[in-house]
Amino acid sequence: MNVFEYANPTTTKEAAGLLAAQWGEAEILAGGTDLLSLMKNYVATPKRVVSLRGIKELSGITSSASGLRIGAMVTLQELHDHKAVHDDYHSLAHAAGSVPSPQIRNLGTVGGDLCQRPRCWYFRNGFGLLAKDEKGQPLVPAGDNRYHAIFGHPGGSPGAYYVHPSSLAPALITFGARVKVAGPKGEREIPLASFFATPKREGERENVLMPNEIVTEIILAAASKGMLTATYEVRQKEALDWPLATASVALRMSGDKVKSARIVLGHVAPVPWPAHEAEKLLAGQTITEDSAAKAGEAAVRGAKALSGNKYKVQLARVAVKRALLEAAAHGKEGMQHG
Amino acid sequence: MHPEPPLIGQAVPRKEGRDKVTGRARYVDDLVFPGMMYGATVRSPVARGRIRAIHFDENIPWQEFTVVTAQDIPGENCVALILHDQPCLAAEIVNHPEEPVVLLGHPDKHLLEEARRAVRLETEPLPAVFTIEDSLAKKEIIWGEDNVFKSFLVEKGDVDSAWARAEIVVEGEYETGAQEQLYIEPNGMIAVANPDEGVTVWGSMQCPYYVHKALVPLFGLSKDKVRVIQAETGGGFGGKEEYPSMIAAHAALLAWKAGRPVKLIYDRAEDMAATTKRHPSRTRHRTGVTRDGKLVALEIDFVIDGGAYCTLSPVVLSRGTIHAAGPYECPNVRIRSRAVATNAPPHGAFRGFGAPQSVFALERHFDQVAKACGLAPDEFRRRNFVHAGGTLAVSQVIHENVDLPQLMERAFAESDYHAKRARFARENRDARVKKGIGFAAFLHGAGFTGSGEEYLASVVAVEATAEGRVRVLAASTEIGQGANTVFTQIAADTLGLDPELIDIAPPDTAAVPNSGPTVASRTTMIVGKLVESAALGLKQTLVSSGLPGERGGPEGRPCTSEEFQRACAEYIRKHGALRATCQYAPPPGIKWDDEKYQGDAYGAYAWAVYVAEVSVDTVTYEIRVDDFVAVQEVGKVIHPVLATGQIEGGVAQGIGYALYENVVWREGRMVNAQMTNYIMPTSADVPPIRVFFEENPYPFGPGGAKGIGELPMDGPAPAIVNAIEQATGASITRIPVTPEVLMEALEGVHA
Ligand SMILES: Cc1cc2nc3c(=O)[nH]c(=O)nc-3n(C[C@H](O)[C@H](O)[C@H](O)COP(=O)(O)OP(=O)(O)OC[C@H]3O[C@@H](n4cnc5c(N)ncnc54)[C@H](O)[C@@H]3O)c2cc1C
Repeated sequence: MNVFEYANPTTTKEAAGLLAAQWGEAEILAGGTDLLSLMKNYVATPKRVVSLRGIKELSGITSSASGLRIGAMVTLQELHDHKAVHDDYHSLAHAAGSVPSPQIRNLGTVGGDLCQRPRCWYFRNGFGLLAKDEKGQPLVPAGDNRYHAIFGHPGGSPGAYYVHPSSLAPALITFGARVKVAGPKGEREIPLASFFATPKREGERENVLMPNEIVTEIILAAASKGMLTATYEVRQKEALDWPLATASVALRMSGDKVKSARIVLGHVAPVPWPAHEAEKLLAGQTITEDSAAKAGEAAVRGAKALSGNKYKVQLARVAVKRALLEAAAHGKEGMQHG
Repeated sequence: MHPEPPLIGQAVPRKEGRDKVTGRARYVDDLVFPGMMYGATVRSPVARGRIRAIHFDENIPWQEFTVVTAQDIPGENCVALILHDQPCLAAEIVNHPEEPVVLLGHPDKHLLEEARRAVRLETEPLPAVFTIEDSLAKKEIIWGEDNVFKSFLVEKGDVDSAWARAEIVVEGEYETGAQEQLYIEPNGMIAVANPDEGVTVWGSMQCPYYVHKALVPLFGLSKDKVRVIQAETGGGFGGKEEYPSMIAAHAALLAWKAGRPVKLIYDRAEDMAATTKRHPSRTRHRTGVTRDGKLVALEIDFVIDGGAYCTLSPVVLSRGTIHAAGPYECPNVRIRSRAVATNAPPHGAFRGFGAPQSVFALERHFDQVAKACGLAPDEFRRRNFVHAGGTLAVSQVIHENVDLPQLMERAFAESDYHAKRARFARENRDARVKKGIGFAAFLHGAGFTGSGEEYLASVVAVEATAEGRVRVLAASTEIGQGANTVFTQIAADTLGLDPELIDIAPPDTAAVPNSGPTVASRTTMIVGKLVESAALGLKQTLVSSGLPGERGGPEGRPCTSEEFQRACAEYIRKHGALRATCQYAPPPGIKWDDEKYQGDAYGAYAWAVYVAEVSVDTVTYEIRVDDFVAVQEVGKVIHPVLATGQIEGGVAQGIGYALYENVVWREGRMVNAQMTNYIMPTSADVPPIRVFFEENPYPFGPGGAKGIGELPMDGPAPAIVNAIEQATGASITRIPVTPEVLMEALEGVHA
């Protein structure tokens, strides 16, 4: 870790003022579960670290008739344990609860989860997000790419091959979440679906934040009655690792038929990956083994496997199918109980 | 709450347990010396090359730093072990990525890290070799005349003429990957060194006398000028057998030049990338059997990848070779084995020491041979198990009263093997998540191979003070396995004393005799026996000068601690120091021929049958171990909790070896040297491990005990992969079986 200055502001405004106009000069510290390892490995070498710990306005979840407001500093455990989240945003509670280890859930924050940096080996070993060699050629397609993207990457040309590491993001996007962001010029609100971006040049980040902006809260519209949701994750092992592929689904129902579906895949592309074709396919259908399997097929139709990650196409397909079946099963349980 | 004697067989509290849980135990990074500096290592960026220049970035105030290169070495530039081929700092040629070239010392850790990044090695690349096959094919000669560190040939009977009698011949090729030891505490050393006082190092290690042996020629000092002290050590698993010598050497070189104490601690990434790992292996089997499943001929070609320097590869190869034919009797055997060089950091000791590699191959292969004979895997093994009086591949006659069929029956009963195997076969057809149950039968020799123990000639001393306290002096280290507790139990029982009166002297080469390295499942069995004998010697001395007790005092009554104290005080007053030593002597009748590689390879073996039950999601390729039964015969269990812990830990490590732990190489460099992408199992991935011991006391082990430290590493991988084969029909021949490997294999099956 390099030597740095530590700032502990008490308001968002003050914090934004302490950030720099250039990426890399200052870093935001939330729970530190990601930032500290980045710094220890010299992937992040900020001159100043700005802690959000002291900023009260970033904490807490408030639930109202218009929906939920989740402070950026809410921990994953608080999110998981919150009654309204548990009751009305089931797939989100599940995603938060599946982030491994109580220690990480108790320290890691919602803002940090959305802004955590990719786990890509090349990035973590100092080759940058776009991981190019000296001649500007991408390292990932020719190298080890077993955990890399199967969607949204450019093929042979330089560009991003990492997968976005957040497993909250897909669930949040299925609920139409919005992020509130504060910077030196004030606040703005962005749909979470357009918050993530693929960098064009080395040095850019994985989202549309400016270097001196802070995520302050996540806003969820009121949950619609009878919506069925689920998150299905495929992991290589039980604990202390990110999923290989996930799918979050939210189904608005009319009787036992799907009125409209939102399906977002995680850990398969540089951004959370919406499965629009699968969503369209499900409109008007009941969820059965067969329709769920077809939706899974549709979801991976545009997938482009790299040399070492063909298996992820299969995992993504299965995740969609199983998430749909789980959501449908919740519906049945719900009917039985009430 | 004093345990009643005998202590052997009881789960007495761990000797150093209280200090560890209260944080009082001092690991090397807890030690701080006045005026201490930190050290860092600049390493080779390339696999093989000629060093052209070393560039020091101008932005660093180099005058504040201590900089050490090969030129600063006062003695011979090598890390002395079996050979002197490995330099302590590369001078002209680097032979693997991460090879140490320059050392830096500075009081400020942070500045040191920046400086390390500001040194650039200019190298002219040389052609390198990265695989066993390329090394064997001599694609490039990178070591010696033929890239071969060591080879063995074991022959029994006449394999060549036996093929004619074989009705079925089965061939197979098996591969195992590297594995990182992942002890909790990374490596580290502190050194004080100057021409007046000589060299003293403190650190995390398994073998103080190995470090001592390496430092003597490096500094050209006499033996008494070098002192090595073990600090509390947070695990080793073999990973702190040879590399600590390198780190101690580096810390000492920096301290020597700087004239100040130097602390050199590796972080996890450096430890994973630069230090030793388990040897990758490739094994070819050709097996001849009769139609009714009797072994006729076994031909095995076993090769391990030793990395760039010899280090311990010959010894790892030796153990792997001897274990390659398992606990079976076959009249005609040929095992040819080689340890070859590649341009990777040297591979080294890791629990099991070559045996997990060759046992994986054999126990996977024998499931295939059984299938070819139309026999159940257990029936095939039953027909070929070695029995008392039989001979192993190295022509060792088994004098132990071994009963493998019985161990197997017990393992099957505990795991409900037969019923489950039948049920899974029935239910799997329509299941998405398929289940399987598989097993492995194996043996593991305790102590050094062949004449190794005789050559080591280990010594242990036991001394008593006038206050009636007893000290055990040995260089054997407590590395979390419980050596100190076991020595205490043995000494206390032998002397009939309260364990609170027994102290274990901290391993310090200036104060304890050389009881050999803490490796090879030898500490309890070999060194423990020396503790027992030395304690007995001490007692006899006291008895002959009037200690009441068994022979001296009232009938059959062990002495009280007051009587013992009085006798000690009396003796010391009259004769001075009260101390007994004992040196290893081989059990009678042990014979080993190093030329032919035949004879009594080990004084004793532990025998085991492990059963694994798995479920495999055939759509996502997730594999889970659902149940694990480990049955073993270990002579005598000295401490049930520690012994069970050894087995459970080994099985967990074996699960990692089989399913998760995948060292990804790129041009000789481990590219996933972080725990975020080198996947190891956590408690959530490990099933309940059900451990059962059978006891069959070994007359030459303390209280009848045999060594067990490495045993549990051998069986899990083949048992698990055999279970995967039952579940899926996929015959997988290499580990780790990651989801990608399983997917490839299953696509093969369904195509
Ligand atoms: C072993 C392990 C397994 C994990 N598995 C999963 C998993 O399965 N799924 C998953 O989703 N996550 C997983 N995580 C990641 C974990 O959820 C994140 O590390 C955590 O949520 C980050 O939160 P934090 O508050 O600690 O962030 P920090 O480490 O403090 O910050 C992370 C990054 O986000 C930036 N940042 C933080 N807060 C803000 C903000 N309010 N505005 C702008 N930028 C901000 C920081 O500058 C930094 O770059 C895992 C982590 C570990 C260590």
